[in-house]
Amino acid sequence: MKKALVAALLIIISIPMLIAVAAMPPHGDADSPVHTHVSARYIEHGEEEAGAENLVTGVLLNYRGLDTAGEVIVIFTALMAAFAVLITHPGRGEESGPTTAALDPEPGTEPESDSKAPPPISPVVSFMVRLLTPFTTLFAIYVILNGHVTPGGGFQGGAILGGMFIALTIVLGEDKVRTLLPRRAAPWMQGAAVFAFVAIGVIGAATTGYFLGYPTDASLHLVRELMMVVIEIGIGLGGAAIFATIFLQMEAE
Amino acid sequence: MLEALWNNVDYVASVVLFCIGLYIIIAKNNLIKKFLGLNIMETAVFAFIIALGVVDDGSPPIMGEGASGPFASPIPHALVLTGIVVAVSTTALALSLIIRIYRQCGTIEADELREME
Repeated sequence: MKKALVAALLIIISIPMLIAVAAMPPHGDADSPVHTHVSARYIEHGEEEAGAENLVTGVLLNYRGLDTAGEVIVIFTALMAAFAVLITHPGRGEESGPTTAALDPEPGTEPESDSKAPPPISPVVSFMVRLLTPFTTLFAIYVILNGHVTPGGGFQGGAILGGMFIALTIVLGEDKVRTLLPRRAAPWMQGAAVFAFVAIGVIGAATTGYFLGYPTDASLHLVRELMMVVIEIGIGLGGAAIFATIFLQMEAE
Repeated sequence: MLEALWNNVDYVASVVLFCIGLYIIIAKNNLIKKFLGLNIMETAVFAFIIALGVVDDGSPPIMGEGASGPFASPIPHALVLTGIVVAVSTTALALSLIIRIYRQCGTIEADELREME
């Protein structure tokens, strides 16, 4: 009964959407409004104006740089919120928590780590993950550093790095992987994207008068590329650290 | 009407995905499943926006030597990249909240949670 009601509701909702879709310009039409207004200008002048051969990166970091800065702050805020939600554990009470136990293994904490030992991993999976880790890292670095000339960029590379980190955590266990994200460096890594954006933005404000302003002079295009690469590296490292931390935080419970 | 729908079958696929996601949100009881439904809806919107930027016989919007038009529109790609990151953030926060709910109440079934109040 309930399912029939829901299905009827969905049909009622989908009819206006389908009518709207049918009235849209044909898919892939080069004369549709999507291709004739802003993006026509971006494609024509984007490379010289934004300074990146990859126009998506140009749009992200230059034309809509403030948007991207806000987005970076959004993931940082999500990390903070996840911390705030997960930080207390009523069942554990006065215990110091699993993360510090992982950092300072004492004889007394062994039973607890035994009780939450991960289920055994297939040796094939474990071997493959460990085998692929260096190549995955290299690929992630390539994607991050070449974001302005080839498909890719900070977010993509950061996602690859973070995914590799999560796979390693599942295979090797949290204790070993923690050494990749030392406690003292962790906050700086998590904030790397925000720091990079603020630093480059302030440099831009000092030199051009606009926050996140890039030098437009043709002779300074290397400087402009360098600024973009710094932001990409910041986004990549920061994104990876944030994904990894959220995962560790969830897994620690 | 049908012919127009067939011409825009990529958009129709997004509408179908959107409805599947909405169905899961309304009909399923488990909070994680509800959230997966929301993720499917987000994916439908991303697929729709990306499909808007496609141009027939087009190449990716990457300039440089040897690049020749027509180019796909770069703006939908940039917008969806932003959207995906926000979606990941909301997913992480929602899963954290679900973990917290499970710890406090011992269940993540919506009807059992409603009975607890």
